[in-house]
Amino acid sequence: MKGKYLITVKNNVLRYQFEIRRNITIIKGDSATGKTTLVDMIREYYENGEQSGIILQCDKTCVVLEGRQWKVLLENIHDSIVFIDEGNQFITTDEFSSELKRSDNYYVIVTREGLPNLPYSVEEIYGIKTSGKYGTLQQTYQEFYRIYGDVKNSILFSPDIIIVEDSNAGYEFFENAAEDKCWETISAGGKSNIYKLLKEYDNKKILIIADGAAFGAEMDRVMKKINLSIGKAIFLPESFEWLILKSDTIRDKAIEEILDNPSDFIESKEYMSWERFFTALLVDKTKDTYLRYSKSKLNDAYKNKKIQERILQEVPKQLI
Amino acid sequence: MLKIIFGNCENAIYNTSVYFKNTYQDEWITDKLSVEMIKDVDKSVVIGSHLIESPVLGAISPKELSGGVKTLILIHKDKSKIFNASTCGDNCAKWLLKIGEMKDVVINLRHIMDFGNGEFEMEVFNTHQIVRNMKELIDVAGLMI
Repeated sequence: MKGKYLITVKNNVLRYQFEIRRNITIIKGDSATGKTTLVDMIREYYENGEQSGIILQCDKTCVVLEGRQWKVLLENIHDSIVFIDEGNQFITTDEFSSELKRSDNYYVIVTREGLPNLPYSVEEIYGIKTSGKYGTLQQTYQEFYRIYGDVKNSILFSPDIIIVEDSNAGYEFFENAAEDKCWETISAGGKSNIYKLLKEYDNKKILIIADGAAFGAEMDRVMKKINLSIGKAIFLPESFEWLILKSDTIRDKAIEEILDNPSDFIESKEYMSWERFFTALLVDKTKDTYLRYSKSKLNDAYKNKKIQERILQEVPKQLI
Repeated sequence: MLKIIFGNCENAIYNTSVYFKNTYQDEWITDKLSVEMIKDVDKSVVIGSHLIESPVLGAISPKELSGGVKTLILIHKDKSKIFNASTCGDNCAKWLLKIGEMKDVVINLRHIMDFGNGEFEMEVFNTHQIVRNMKELIDVAGLMI
């Protein structure tokens, strides 16, 4: 499935409206904000349609997945938006991750647990808040808000260390860019190691650079560590390849259109997360050119100062 | 004292809502602490053991309380089990601390709950370390989830 989908669900007392943009959306936040009520309303509408008294508007079928038979049920769910309430432990399993990978559905999962098996974006982690009564009706209007909406792409210090999630081309790029700068570049060798490195270099000023498109599961503990430390910040572009595409290094009208609205171009069944799509797009757009991109080793062309500066335009000013 | 097992805990009750629905006792709902927790977290008023007044949903039964409050009540009233407190939002944290001040209680957390800016005392049960603020808690628990 690809595209963005606006969902409106309402009954006599509640009205939810939100947009789903990617294959995995997480809902968490405080208790008593209406997460389970939302899933209950989706279930009741799916089972009884308009006879439920619920009105649901969406261009795709919305369905709830739960229980021990989840895998059997999922085999028959296609091209739909699948809601999963908390309490369904299967979401933490490798089995669920591999089913999701080959599925053509979008998923909305209610959980506060990090799900390291699933590559979900930091931008698609939401809470629900009440924004008052809707119009003159007695309905309470429930809206989604981004839990990590305040993560800014700017830092207030010059770092001693830059920790890069990537161990290949992305790491090489930032290490190369650091040659005439006064910071050390360290590869984390994967997102799950970033927290450990933050602890190890607790007394240093650190900037983390990670792929926002798949960093969702790590975000909670890393942000809590950053918020209670001095001189720590995080920069979360979609991915390193997205930075290159965004930099205008490869002038191509089609790239601009895609970056303006990635949801419309990224087929979830083909790409489990957006950073994989951006890598494939960059490889495709640069093949047979001097900028030929390979994730495993950085092409020397990207070490050229002018190209480097263009790519660094998107990163915090302290690194330019 | 509040004792927390971080990460997977095989014996913990994971789906606390289902467990609550099938085990709760009428007197749990009208217990003084339960009434306070329902008022604070769900903004709802306990009228009786079968009836609660919610500002959004109107008259509801205990089965329609939030997942967080159901888990708090289970932790408070049922000492026979360890419950998955990751079904509780951060707005439940002060009540977990309060229950921990009243008695020894073991819970399971699969995420790092925000217990606020103040000082507290709890045991990270996995390593039996005592932590007294969020910074200490994150440093210890961050490696376990």
